[in-house]
Formats: sequence, structure tokens, C-alpha cells
Amino acid sequence: MDILTLKGVGLTLQGNAGPVEILRGIDLNVKAGESLALIGPSGSGKSSLLMLMAGLERASTGTVSALGQDLGAMDEDGLARFRRGRMGVVFQSFHLIPTMTALENVAVPLEIAGEARAAERAAEELAAVGLVARTGHYPAQMSGGEQQRVALARASAGRPKLLLADEPTGNLDQANGAAIMDLLFGLRDRHGATLVMVTHAAELAARCDRVVRMADGRLA
Amino acid sequence: MSLALRLAAREMRGGIGGFRVLILCLALGVAAIAAVGTLRAAINAGLADQGAVILGGDAELSFTYRRADRAETDWIATHSRASSEVIGFRSLAVAGQDQALTEVKAVDGNWPLLGQVELSQGTLAEAFAVQDGLPGAIMEPLLADRLGLKPGDRFKMGTQAFRLSALMLSQPDSATSGIGFAPKTVVRTEALAESGLLAPGSMYESHYRLLTGAELGGLRHQAENAFGPKGMEWADRRHAARGVEAFVNRLGSFLILVGLAGLAVGGVGVASAVRAWMEARVATMATLKVLGAAGRLVAGVYLVQVAAVVVLGTALGLGLGAGGMALAMPLIAGALPFPVETGLFPGALAEAAFYGLLTGFLFALWPLAQALRQGAAAIYRGARRVWPATPWLVLQALLLAALIGGAAWFSGNWRLTLGTLGGVGAVLLVLWGAGFGLARAARRLARSPLVNGRPGLRLALAAIGGPRSEAMAVVLSLGLGLSVLAVVGQIDANFRLAIQRDLPGKAPSFFFIDLQPDQLQPFLHRMSGDPAVHKVESAAMLRGTLMTINGEDARKVAGNHWVVTGDRGISLADTLPPGTEITAGQWWPQGYDGPGQVSFAAQEAKEIGLKLGDKLGLNILGRDIEVTVTSFRKVDFTNAGMGFVMIVDQNALKGAPYTAIATVYADPAAEAGLLREAARTWPNITAISVKEAIAKVVEALTAIATATVAAAGAVLVVGLVVLVGAVSAGVPARVREASVLKVLGATRGAILASFALRAGLMGAAAGLVAVAAGAVGGWAVLTQVMELPFVFEPVSAALIVAGGVVVTLVAGLVFAAVPISARPAGVLRTLEG
Repeated sequence: MDILTLKGVGLTLQGNAGPVEILRGIDLNVKAGESLALIGPSGSGKSSLLMLMAGLERASTGTVSALGQDLGAMDEDGLARFRRGRMGVVFQSFHLIPTMTALENVAVPLEIAGEARAAERAAEELAAVGLVARTGHYPAQMSGGEQQRVALARASAGRPKLLLADEPTGNLDQANGAAIMDLLFGLRDRHGATLVMVTHAAELAARCDRVVRMADGRLA
Repeated sequence: MSLALRLAAREMRGGIGGFRVLILCLALGVAAIAAVGTLRAAINAGLADQGAVILGGDAELSFTYRRADRAETDWIATHSRASSEVIGFRSLAVAGQDQALTEVKAVDGNWPLLGQVELSQGTLAEAFAVQDGLPGAIMEPLLADRLGLKPGDRFKMGTQAFRLSALMLSQPDSATSGIGFAPKTVVRTEALAESGLLAPGSMYESHYRLLTGAELGGLRHQAENAFGPKGMEWADRRHAARGVEAFVNRLGSFLILVGLAGLAVGGVGVASAVRAWMEARVATMATLKVLGAAGRLVAGVYLVQVAAVVVLGTALGLGLGAGGMALAMPLIAGALPFPVETGLFPGALAEAAFYGLLTGFLFALWPLAQALRQGAAAIYRGARRVWPATPWLVLQALLLAALIGGAAWFSGNWRLTLGTLGGVGAVLLVLWGAGFGLARAARRLARSPLVNGRPGLRLALAAIGGPRSEAMAVVLSLGLGLSVLAVVGQIDANFRLAIQRDLPGKAPSFFFIDLQPDQLQPFLHRMSGDPAVHKVESAAMLRGTLMTINGEDARKVAGNHWVVTGDRGISLADTLPPGTEITAGQWWPQGYDGPGQVSFAAQEAKEIGLKLGDKLGLNILGRDIEVTVTSFRKVDFTNAGMGFVMIVDQNALKGAPYTAIATVYADPAAEAGLLREAARTWPNITAISVKEAIAKVVEALTAIATATVAAAGAVLVVGLVVLVGAVSAGVPARVREASVLKVLGATRGAILASFALRAGLMGAAAGLVAVAAGAVGGWAVLTQVMELPFVFEPVSAALIVAGGVVVTLVAGLVFAAVPISARPAGVLRTLEG
């Protein structure tokens, strides 16, 4: 069963020098439980495609469906509600909330989703990524690797069916990057989630079930 | 050009956008101080320039309850080329059924010696002329309106009828009197001969204005030596309106100090702006150091830039203040009862510039010095907060000392300066503590199970308690302005409460003055026989000055205590007045005719250090008498009833022409009827409505409160600029936060609610601290200075808290539009960079 379906998807953004066509004619299906790597040179549209899958960007043409729902039919708040407990997103720059501790960062999506045991669940998730001792620390007090582990815990806290990761090791050294990937795949295996990952690293892509190459806004 | 200057100039080519808040903060604070200082200088210049006109002559000799005697009039004639006698007293003007209190000015043919009287019609000579047997009179339009009179109509004062010949639109010598209790009527003194109003013992003052070319200092010395012991008071054109001048100077100094509080708030904005600006220059600074620039050079580069913007902000403020006052001066001058000179007042601008520059540097140097102390590597690693190096700390301390010393010097009052600045410092410290406490409490609460399941609240609390929280800036910037408003609110409300709730129950309806001794018994009989009258009190009264205490000058012994600073009402009695409580000593026996004795108010005696057996020298109507303090009495001056500091035994003042004063407590509904009847039966006596007198005092206090609120408003405006600066600086962080929250499933409504909640919480905290400061400040002023009870007033307190919430909420929500509408993908993509 397909968890993600993209049909004829195009994305045109307004740049300073006029409209820029980022994506064109993308057709892609992702099966439930599959892991998919999006690779390609910088500027090929990988991250934009991931943003479309997350409902964070709206397709200019075509349709994007996730978990059987047409994302184009939902407004911004509808998309936000849709993501709750269904999608987890990991960024290259972690995007933790700087005013919150690690525990609070992980608890936020659970609280937003109305989870009664948000704090306990967040603590469990942090334990799962090896950060029991860092629960009370603010992002600025943690290393990049630790911050990305918090971000992973946050993305998986809601047991999402779809995990989207945008170059999750891009800001990390090799050792930390490898550890993060182990955690990412471990979480995906544990929760049976579908994983779509943007990466430049061939060895990381090789760990996925399928690799899709992009060039110039199209699937190669 | 030095290298530091060259490098600074290169850096500044990019503009001074980062300093907008700093410049605005300084400019507004300096403008407020420059405006107040300019107005004060303009009034003082007007008073100095027009001194002779508003005094009515080059010099003035005044006497209480008497006119000048032969020796005095001879002296006046010898020492002046022209002189004029003006007698002032209060009376009731009666027109048919209507009557109103008026301040009467009885003048001779030389009045006014200087300046012009502006009349609605005719000349002054025509106005005072006798027509159809009726002498002419002029009165202020307000009084004519009140009595329904127009020129040509007749009215009575005492037993004398007058013809209102013209309305008096302005008079040159109106600013020398203090708060006028009633509008004025001017008549010729000879027209009062048959009125019964200037009978012996009546309460009046006589003023003799002189035109003279003599040196005023020497003339004063001569007059005081000759006539001072007989109760003469001297004034001359050098300080014609001494009361107005002192009031304007004191209020001006106070408002400037409140303005300085505004600059202190602005200082918070200055420090934040410099800190943010220095953080943006961390890399440049580090690079300069890596390239071999010594600490002094780097310091020079940034000090030059900071100095340039501090000077710019101050100069802008001076322009705003002086320009604003130049535009507003015609309006202000029209509303004030004394002359105001327009123009530029360099002294006032120099004072404002002094405050602006010192405050600017005081607050800017700290973050600058902190940044400069970081080593190059430390800067690259990320700046930590460190203490500035010792020389910078010394410089800061010197700046602070210069600021306090300068403020004291400019205000000329150390106590007022240290009191106000100490209060401002204490409030800032409390606000800093409150900001810190709020952040700590929010941090703890954000982690507490109490907020489980309330992500909006947790987000708000985490933002308030987390790193780079805006809590401190919000509480500091808003708190001080709200605190000043809260203090004014508490004092004002308590004062009105005391007047409106307490006084009407205890205070009499009327004071009747100038009752001749033979009128007293019939008057008391009539009043006490009226069922609408609850209580009548009366006492013999004359006025006198306490000149010596045990043979020494009373002013030297008692300082500036109000009891010795002018003439006071003195009563005389044989038996102990009913309801009087003796706290020490003994009342003299009935029919006592030994050496003079006095019973003194216990509290006032304590304040000036009197003890039983002390000898007091009194001057009463030009006559010196000595009395011994033989008892102390409890006197309550707060209920507007009858209260005398001194009661002298009847024998000591035998033969002195006294009058009686009576207080009548009556049903409000019967007051008008009683007044009419009293005026008809005893035309020479004057009734003063306590309600109207209190209304006048409230009016004057309201004007002071309004001026203070306006100054507090300036503090609030500066606070708002700081607040807006702090909130706008946080926009990028909130854009990022909102984008991440959207990714995590939060709706725009939820994010907005969380932003609103955090703004509201911070505003409420600032408001609550202000209310606490207001309560403490209000309590201190009321109980320690005014000696009134303090009751916490919840309405103004609630308004202050609500004001804090609304202001932060509006600022927060205005700046929430960008984060809420930002598209997360675009934001996050930019941040991924």
C-alpha cells in the first residue's frame, strides 16, 4: 500500500529575479514501511520535494497525497493537525526550540497532540537515544550530535507512520553521523515507520531500500 | 585621522540601523527633560523680566490686619517717587438671592503703578467713578457669571452697594497671590468706608507698592530693621512672585528627575542595543584582534561609534525638546496666569544634554567593555558574559557619581535628588529582581506537571524562562513608568478618598470670619437654634507671628517649620474650650490676669522642640508680647475644623481688636438658606464654604498630579520604545519557533495564543511589580510626608496591571504577525543555509 503518492508535482517559487521552477513533473509512490533515499546534486530539488511530502510547501501543480489524504486540499492549520502523530521531520540544522530543555523539546509534539503522558513519553524517547543525563539541558548546552539525537527523539515521539529526514547528518562529523543514522534506522525499525531521507552520502543512501536520484528538479 | 577613527568611519558606512532604538530612547528622554527645563526657564525669565509689573511696583511692604502707621507711611513717602496702597480681604458679593465669595482688592487712585488693567469697557477712572450715589466696581467675568451680573447692575458687599461698571479681563499684579480661593473684585478703598468690612480686627492685609530708583537690597535692610519687628513683610521685583517661583522651581526639579527616570529606562534600551550591536560585530572584532590590533585600538574603534550615536541621540533630543516647546509655548503661555518669556534657554538645554550624554555613556559602556574583554578565540567560540575590566568599572563609577552630583547641583536640592534617584534605583533593582524571579519561576513552572497537556502555556513559560528571554527587558522597560503612575494613582486616590469620604462627615459646612465681638452671641443663638445645624463652634481670633523662642529668633530655633514661617491664627480664651484635651501642663485658672500664658499644639510643639516653661515672643498687630508655654493640647488639623496652634490667655491680649471665627456644621440641604440669612443679617461677615475651598485645593493638587502623570507618560513612552526594541529584536527567533511548531503540528491559533500568553504574563508581572512599588511609594508619601492614613486603592492598581498586560499584548501581537504568517518551508530552508 502506498503511504505517499505524488502525481505530476511541480513547484515554482518566486525569486528576486522572477519565478524559479524548482520541481517539475514529479511522479513518485512510496510504500508503507519502505525506506527511500533522495540523492542528487545541490539545487536539484531534493529538500523541496521533502517539504512537499511534509506539507510544509504547497505544490504549484499536481497532487501530493500522504496516508491517503490529499495535502493540497488542506489549509495550513489542517496540515499542522494532519502531521500530529503521523509525520516526524528531522532537519540538518536540528531546529530545536532554544528556549526549551531537551525534555521539553521532545514533549512539545506530544503535548500538541494532546498526549496525557507527554513528559514520561519524552523521557523514554530521550533514553532511547542515549540522552538520559541531558534531559534538563538547553540546546545551546549540547553538542551538534546531541542536538540531532534530541531532534530524532522529537520526530519519533509521536510514533509517526512517516519519518522525513533532510540531510540529518549534514552538520555532523563522521562518527556522530554514523551514530545518528544507526539511531534513525533503529527508530524506524522499532516503530515500523516509512523513512524518506535526503542525503548526499552514498553509503547512507545504500542503507535504504530504494534510492531515487534527482537532477534539475526532476527524477532522474 | 587616527586609525581607530578611520576604522570606525569605515564600519559606520553601513549606516546606524542597529542603533535606532538607542537613538530614539536617548532622544525621547532628553527631549522630555529639555522641554520641562525650557518651560521652567521660560517662566523664571518671565517672572524676572516682569517682576516689577507683577509685583505692582519695585518693592512692596505688607502688613496683616492693619494699615501702615504714620512712621511707615512717612518712610514710604520718603523712599519712593510714587506709591500705592492695596488692601486685600475676602467677602461675600450679594446680588439679589445670589451670593458668592470674592477676593476683594481695595485700591487707591495710583493703582496700578505699573502695567495696565484690561476692562470690558471704559477706563479705570470711569469704572471707579460714583454714579447715582453708587461707587463703581470691577470684577472678574467668572464672578459676574456666577452672580448673573452684567455691567450696570448693582450688588452689595457688606452694607455697601456697588455698581458693576466693567468686567476685569486681566490685571497686571495677579501672579503674586497664591492659590486664589475666589475670583476677584476691585473697588476704591474709600468706597468701603461705610461697608463695615474693614472694621478693627477684620481679617485683611495691606500692601504698599513703591516705585523707587534706590538699591533694593539696602532699602530692604532699612525697612526690615525699622518695621520687621512690627510684622512687616518685604517683597521686591527681584523675586516678585516668590511663591510661584519656588513652586515652579520645585515642581520643575521634580519633573526633571522623573524625566531622568525616563532616561534610566531608556538606558536599558541603550544597553540592549549596544549589546546586540556588539554581538553582531563579534567576528569583526575577533578578526581585528587576530590581525594584530591591540585592545586599545579595538576599544577605540567601537568607542568612537558608540560616542557618535550617543551624541546624535542627545542632539536629536535637544532639538525635539526645544523645538516642541517653541511650538507649544504660545499655548502654554496663554494658559498660565503669569508672564512666560519665549526663546532658547541654553542652561536648560545644557542640563538636558548633560543628563543625556552621561546616561547614554553609562549604559552603553558596560556591554561595550564586556565585549572588549573577550579574547579573540573566546569571541569565535561564542561570547560569554564577563565583567568589564577594572578601568572601565572605575569609569562607570565616575560617570554615575557625576550624574548624581550633577543632578543634585542642577536641582539645588540634595534631598529631593537623592530621594528621587534613590527611589528610581530601588525600583529598578526591584524590577531587575522581579524580571529575574519571573524568569526563574517560569522556568520551574514550565517543567512542572501542572502544565502537562497545555503546550501553549508550556511554550509561553519556556520562552519567558529560557535563554534570551525578553522578560527582563519587558519588566524593566515598562515597570518604571508604570511604577510612577501607580504611586501617583495611589496618592491621588487616597487623597480624594480622605477628602470625599472622611471630610464631609467631620468637616464643617462653613467658616464664618470677621464676626465682631458684639455679633457673636446673636450669631451663635441663631445658628444653634436652627434644627438643620448640628454643631457650632466659635473662637476669638487674631493673627500673629511667632518671633522668638526663649529670646532667640524662632526661625533659627525651629528651622523652616510652618509654625514659624509666617503669621498664624492665634486664639484667646479664658476657659478651656469644650472638647480640648490637655496632654501636658495645666490650663490657666478662670479670670487669670497674671503674666501671659500660651497653650501650644502638642504635635507641633514636639516638632519644634518646645517644652513647658519656654518663653515665646509674639508679634500681634505690630505689638510684641511675651507668653510662657504652660500647657500642650491635642489638635487635629485634618478635619478642616477649628484648630489653633496657639491659644493665649485673654488677659495677655487685653484691648487687642479681635474678631471671632465660627464653624457651622449643617445639613447640606440647608446650607444655601443659612448662608443667605447670615449675609442678610450680618452683611460684614464672610462665609467660606469648606466644600468650595477643598475643591480649590483638589483642583491645584489635580494640576500637580496631571503634570506628574505627564512626566510618567514620558517615562512610559521611552519604556515603550525599549519594549518595542526588545520585542522586535525577538522576531527572528519567533519566526523560527513558529515554523518549527508548525512542523510539529501546532496551528496558527495555538501559536498566536502562546505568543499572547507570554506577552500577557510579562506585562502582568511588570504591572504587579509597579502596583507593589506604587503601594510602597504611596504609603511612604501619605503616612510619612502627609501624615494621612494609607488605604490600598485597588481600582488604579487593577488599571496599572491591565495597562501593562494590554501594552505588552499589543506590542507582542503586532510583532507576531510576521512569525505567524511565515511559511515554515521557506524559513527552515533559509536557516539550513
